[in-house]
Amino acid sequence: MADQKKQSVLGYVFLIPSLAAFCVFMFYPLFYTVYLSFFDWNMIQPQKKFVGFQNYVILLRAPNTWKILGNTFWYIVILLILNWALPYLVSFVLSFVVGRMRGFYKSALFLPSIISLVVGSILYTWILNPVSGPVAILLKPLGIRLPFWTKTDGWVIAGLCIITTWKTFGYNLIVLLAGISGVSPEVIEAARLDNVPLRRIFFDIVVPMSSATGIYVFIITIVQGLQYVFTPIKVITQGGPNYASSNLIYMSYHNAFTLFKTGTASAASVLTMLLFVILLLLEFRFVERGVYYEN
Amino acid sequence: MKRNGSRFAAMILTGAMAAAMAVPAVSYAGDTDKIKIEYWHCNSEEQGGKTVDELVQKFNESNDHIEVTAKYNPDMYKGLMQNLQAEAATGSYPAVVQIGWAFLDYFSNNFSYTSPQDAIDKFDSEDSTFLSDNFLPNVLNLAVNSKGDQVGIPYSLSNPVLYINKDLLKEAGVSEDGPATWEEVAQFAKAVKEKTGKYGFYMQEPADFWAQQALIESNGASMLTKDADGKAQASFASDEGAEAMQLVADMVKDGSALHVGWDEGCQSFIDGNCAMLYTTIARRASVQDGAKFDVATVKSPVWEGKDRKVPAGGCFLAITAQGDDQIQAAWEFEKYLYSVESMAAWTIGTGYVPPRKDVADAENGLKDFLAENKMMNAAIEQMDGVVPWTAFPGDAGLQAEQLLLDMRDQILGGQASAKDAMTSTQDQINELLNAQ
Amino acid sequence: MKLPLDAGGMTDRDGNSKTQGTGETGSAGAAGWHVFLILYTCLILFPIAFAVSNSFKTSSDAYNTILELIPRRPTLDGYRQVFAKLPFVRIALNTFLIAASVTACKTLTSLLAAYSFVFFQYRGKKVLYFLMLITMFVPFTVTMIPNYLLITQMGLRDNIWGVALPQMADVLGIFLLRQAMRGIPKSLIEAAKLDNIPDLKIMKDIIMPLVRPAVISTGIIFFINSWNEYVWPVLILKSVEHYTLPLALQMYISAEGGTDFPLAMAVSVLTMLIPLVLYLIFQKYIISIFAMTGVKG
Repeated sequence: MADQKKQSVLGYVFLIPSLAAFCVFMFYPLFYTVYLSFFDWNMIQPQKKFVGFQNYVILLRAPNTWKILGNTFWYIVILLILNWALPYLVSFVLSFVVGRMRGFYKSALFLPSIISLVVGSILYTWILNPVSGPVAILLKPLGIRLPFWTKTDGWVIAGLCIITTWKTFGYNLIVLLAGISGVSPEVIEAARLDNVPLRRIFFDIVVPMSSATGIYVFIITIVQGLQYVFTPIKVITQGGPNYASSNLIYMSYHNAFTLFKTGTASAASVLTMLLFVILLLLEFRFVERGVYYEN
Repeated sequence: MKRNGSRFAAMILTGAMAAAMAVPAVSYAGDTDKIKIEYWHCNSEEQGGKTVDELVQKFNESNDHIEVTAKYNPDMYKGLMQNLQAEAATGSYPAVVQIGWAFLDYFSNNFSYTSPQDAIDKFDSEDSTFLSDNFLPNVLNLAVNSKGDQVGIPYSLSNPVLYINKDLLKEAGVSEDGPATWEEVAQFAKAVKEKTGKYGFYMQEPADFWAQQALIESNGASMLTKDADGKAQASFASDEGAEAMQLVADMVKDGSALHVGWDEGCQSFIDGNCAMLYTTIARRASVQDGAKFDVATVKSPVWEGKDRKVPAGGCFLAITAQGDDQIQAAWEFEKYLYSVESMAAWTIGTGYVPPRKDVADAENGLKDFLAENKMMNAAIEQMDGVVPWTAFPGDAGLQAEQLLLDMRDQILGGQASAKDAMTSTQDQINELLNAQ
Repeated sequence: MKLPLDAGGMTDRDGNSKTQGTGETGSAGAAGWHVFLILYTCLILFPIAFAVSNSFKTSSDAYNTILELIPRRPTLDGYRQVFAKLPFVRIALNTFLIAASVTACKTLTSLLAAYSFVFFQYRGKKVLYFLMLITMFVPFTVTMIPNYLLITQMGLRDNIWGVALPQMADVLGIFLLRQAMRGIPKSLIEAAKLDNIPDLKIMKDIIMPLVRPAVISTGIIFFINSWNEYVWPVLILKSVEHYTLPLALQMYISAEGGTDFPLAMAVSVLTMLIPLVLYLIFQKYIISIFAMTGVKG
């Protein structure tokens, strides 16, 4: 019995370092941000002014907020296509369609994942220059003109998503590959012998059998993707033109550290958190139980 | 008790320091008794930091009673201002500081400084007309605050010029000497577009409204005017202001001008895809190094029959030294920085325009340099048109700046006419200003 | 699903085409996919080649021959200028110090926590684990203001330790190492405990050798992530002497004096150099451990 007690005490003790770090730099800030969202403050004034829900009201009344929410939606859609659907397909192709050079593709496609997104942003500013960049020069003879994407609504989101995808595609691919590896090759082989088309194999066999990983990557693409895209936004467009590339994450940052409005910044962060909590519940509902508590 | 004790000790220390400062500098033998002063600047290694060190070193070697230490402050003038605030709280001050134009009022309202003329009258009275002898009145005026006090002396100055690709202009069949007016800019750009298929014009679009201020104020609009009560009101949405912005918006619309990021636009000018570039003279070196065509600069274009107004970028020097011998030393150092040789070195090292007269032509000044770097001339020649860079007052300033950038995007992106966008932005800014 | 004892076992499964998937279909379809994959790979690798190539060009060549991957007049000027204009060694050292200390702390706390979750029984374990997992879903904007204020109050703003301090624990490491440890037979540990071997010794002598590959890969991930980190350092670090590489890089965008193209490319290349070298050496580890993050265990 005493031993049992010692065991549980030791269990807690081993947990203390990480738990303490999380409490100080994760959970306490989380609550403090919620607290700050009810005050009008600029980080310098000695007094914070309590304003109740006013920051939320201001936020939800501002026309830019709705534009930014719309942008956030489009970021999610494009990131899901480039960073979830596409790697899903490629991982399927790598697992069951092509055999040779599988290792090479995997290593090469993963490579940018280890490179700083600031590097990516800088390189792409030059590469995607709509007039002088290599892409523009190569497309010119074909009569294709690149839009002034850094200054054009819509295109700016697409451009920034491409940069983010450069970094995160490989990671998602690897995770999905591992998920697909759970699908037994015999099943695929049998389907193929029956001349089932690849498209059907993918949608009817592979996707359902790897759905746990699929949903995990789906959610990670949204949660991490929106945060990853912050770097190119900050480096290249600063949310412009006229908020066309801002998203919820950048909006918080911009309010906090450019305009020094901690109240609205915190309110925006809380909204983001709310969005992610909904995703978390989804994750828990569909995946977590199966993934983490299988035993 | 302990706390009281330490407070007492602090009082004694402060008293001792004050006493030490009040005692006039007595020269003893040995280096240790040199007057030590600090010079705070914002010049990274990339942008003139080396020159700062060289100038300071030369000064320290050339005199036997003052020793200057240069201290670099990152994050530009805002960073320096924050550091100064922190330092002032401890009761100590650097002797000479660089103050960005945007902080002119803030600095003079919140810190104790010695006006340059006061320092001259007290310690350098035989040279009492130093300021008016050596500086253009409009340049000196840049460092005059809203109360009318001369807070410091302009030091780092940049202004916008028009870079031209002579080869492309020639190919387009327009004067290769470049346009003189904004009307011509539009016309030239159109010709370039039609004859060569390349872009005609790009006006810098960084996270400030500096270049656009030159465009609209040269047309007779003003960013800010004071109403009868002396309260500042945004006033850029006049017909002249709207006309000016609309000109560029129309060029973007018909495809003769680029509407891209600052670095992208400069890249397209440097590699020959765009014939004219309107940006700061501080980018001269990078344009000069990269361009393979016949590149030149011309003065910032004017509007037909109107005066040129180009906002100054950069900073002025202010004396924050406390105590007579410190102030005297600060002035001695500052005067050295404004000497023809030092100014020339400063221009060469930073790409800024010398704020004082006589530097450009002097043998010991920039004569040789300018003969080799003709692109500097346009910026120096238009010094008589330099005006202060508009800073919106108070806490609302930051937000007002942001609104201007949003407005620029709306106009150049074609989402709104210049008149509409400027009117609504002006209303919003005035609402902010009135609320504070 | 039974987990292999170590990550090395996993790389085998992962890297070896025989155990997984099927062979080449041999149809025209496969050839088409190869074309697509090769093009896509080139597209993805192009920016890296672009950076390397332009970093060795002169400024005017970089602007005027942007499409040519082989510099006409190769020069080291770009690199020379990096070292002349920036306290580059200092910046690289800052980046390294932050990355190394963050990696050490995170790995240690993750090891302890993972050990606790796998080999101890106590009340609230699941709740605590869940609480930690949640942190994966906390956007950085939610913690940035309070953490910024906290670090400022501690006087650690503009200090590399102010960057490192809030990053002492990471749920990713706890998760990965927990996964790895779950493959270790409990009986092994129980036997050791019966012999009254202290837990720290068990960890050091029994667990560590078994999970070493997983620990190494987790550590490398931490290191690379911290090396590349941008958002948090950009809030905390203010002086060039304290900058990390990604921040130094940012100075080459919209700088007042203009961007020196080859110089910006040279700094880019130097910034990605260390992660690239680590990747080339530990490729299999890294890929296999990343693969684990989404796999059920």
